[in-house]
Amino acid sequence: MKLFSKYISKYLLSFIVLIFVLVVLDVAAFALTFYNAVSRNFGTASPQNTLKEVAESSSAGGIADEAARMLISNSLWAMYLNAEGSCNWTVNLPEEIPTEYTIQDIALFSKGYLKDYPVFVWGDESGLLVIGYPKNSYMKVTSNYYPMDVLRKIPLFFLGILVFDLLVLFLAYSHSKAQILSNTEPIISSIAALSEGKCISLDLNGELSEIADSINRASNIINRQNTARANWISGVSHDIRTPLSMIMGYAERIVNDRDAGSQIKKQAVIISRQSIKIKELVQDLNLVSKLEYEMQPLQKNNIRISRLLRSYAIDLINSGLPEIYSLEVVISPDSENSMIECDKKLITRAVNNLVQNSIHSNPKGCTIILALQVTEKTLCLTVQDNGVGISAEKLEELKNKPHYMESTDDRLDLRHGLGLLLVRQIIEAHHGTIEVQSKPQEGYKTNIYFAVR
Amino acid sequence: MEDSFLYSKKILLVDDEPELRKLVTDILSDDGFIDIIEAGTVRAGFSSARQEKPDLAILDVMLPDGDGFSLMKELRTFTDIPIIFLTAKDEAADKLAGLGLGADDYVVKPFLPQELLLRVHAVLRRCYKADSPLLELEGCTIDFSRAEVNKNGKIIALTAKEHMLLETLSHNEGRIVSIDALCEALWGDNPFGYENSLNAHIRRIREKIETNPSKPVSLITMKGLGYKLNVRK
Repeated sequence: MKLFSKYISKYLLSFIVLIFVLVVLDVAAFALTFYNAVSRNFGTASPQNTLKEVAESSSAGGIADEAARMLISNSLWAMYLNAEGSCNWTVNLPEEIPTEYTIQDIALFSKGYLKDYPVFVWGDESGLLVIGYPKNSYMKVTSNYYPMDVLRKIPLFFLGILVFDLLVLFLAYSHSKAQILSNTEPIISSIAALSEGKCISLDLNGELSEIADSINRASNIINRQNTARANWISGVSHDIRTPLSMIMGYAERIVNDRDAGSQIKKQAVIISRQSIKIKELVQDLNLVSKLEYEMQPLQKNNIRISRLLRSYAIDLINSGLPEIYSLEVVISPDSENSMIECDKKLITRAVNNLVQNSIHSNPKGCTIILALQVTEKTLCLTVQDNGVGISAEKLEELKNKPHYMESTDDRLDLRHGLGLLLVRQIIEAHHGTIEVQSKPQEGYKTNIYFAVR
Repeated sequence: MEDSFLYSKKILLVDDEPELRKLVTDILSDDGFIDIIEAGTVRAGFSSARQEKPDLAILDVMLPDGDGFSLMKELRTFTDIPIIFLTAKDEAADKLAGLGLGADDYVVKPFLPQELLLRVHAVLRRCYKADSPLLELEGCTIDFSRAEVNKNGKIIALTAKEHMLLETLSHNEGRIVSIDALCEALWGDNPFGYENSLNAHIRRIREKIETNPSKPVSLITMKGLGYKLNVRK
């Protein structure tokens, strides 16, 4: 979400920069266009410079040829009036311009136009140099006087305008950013949820309803596919159960049959053992797929874990745990009444998978300890055995390698049992964490941590 | 075996798979049950139950003309016999465990023969044990109908709590009963902090039933888990 906010800021900021660049460009284009227009028609220099140039190369007596040529080539005209108001000399003077002037005439044209010709004047000791530009070439501001008060306020005024504009821009920026964020936030977060495979449903009101609708449809499709997949797995695991019951049942009968030969009995033992493996796989597969696709609603209640562990251990012993295994339950006194909100059946399943893992890994027997401890913030459930353990490499592999349900490549040989994946899923669904410790010949220990309120 | 009277009980088995029915019948008759009736549909199951009056029904959940749950409802209209469900669905197991439909137990397919037998025995024992109020222990006899212990001809009375405790243990004879289950039987739901009282009751029971109360042979402590009552074989 932060990333997206940054992304919008970046783009809106670049718009503001663009506005500044445009203003600068506009000014430059203006300057370039009109500078060219003036210089093309009436010479490269400004009237002020032309006037100065002409004044330097002329006097009351006459004008230098070069200056006169320059005036003519730029379609300008000039005249020099002496103190009495009559022309000493003229260059390129239009016919309608008189050569005698009264003091009133001079006062009137000196700041403005002479017969509609914009004129510029240059006074020296003996007279007045007048340069005329063609009609409609320059606009002269004739009433160019302002109160001092206004002039003094102008910089402040421009500064104020600038600040005000910037403020408006900034407000527009932050408002549109907030608007975009509030419109896109639900969409962005639902895409994030979608990428985690969660089912979402967006409100279809607002300007972006089309996008929301497509996302809803995508979610529906994913959801339907997940449901189909989970149902398919559930169906297969259901259909396998009845035939498997018969395989297990008859294999067991052969094992216990007094008339069967020892060779046959041995083979029946193998069939029986393998079919138990299939049974466990089928049971785990169904639950794993349901948890994976979030089709198993958690039935959470406040559960005393001490009690859950005892009742699990008793069920296991009562159902005939082979004598080579001993099961101990060690509950620290302060954890006796610790409760967590959890699905009793799933937690029992997780504990069972860990215990069965210890049993399978140690066919020669071991001691299994179920322990419970509590600190201020966490409840720690430990399933530990003193059996063969696993090597550091195996342990790393177990922690890091993807399971085949999560792996997209063909390297199915990397997988480990579904049982441990299920434990991880169950613990994650309860917002717990899991930690595995093991060394060869030093047993296998799993700590599960839950937050206590 | 102490359960011998159970083998005379009549069992009704309802499952639509003939082969599975055959297997379950084989398992039960191998174990010693002699009277087993089979049915393949809800209707056949219902009429068999009417005519034969079984002592226990084992019902499949999925049947061609309905499900085991509705069959149970119909059976309940005229009999209170214990019912064990066979199910191939985890969901059905969840339903059974969660809603408490009044079934006595359930077995999820695929199952091992011992697993099924264990459930059948436990359910039958729980439901028909009341036939005999006398419990033979090593060194004494308990008469539940009189709440008395007869230790070497000496009659010792049991208190109500002791009676309840022994009854709970005897229903699960030879099996561990958790501290929690015992506390619940004595003090109802959410029995927090009654462990010490339970210990006191256990101690007093031992003084009444054990020949040497400091070295119990009948009422055994399973450390950290619960207690177990051993009966004389």
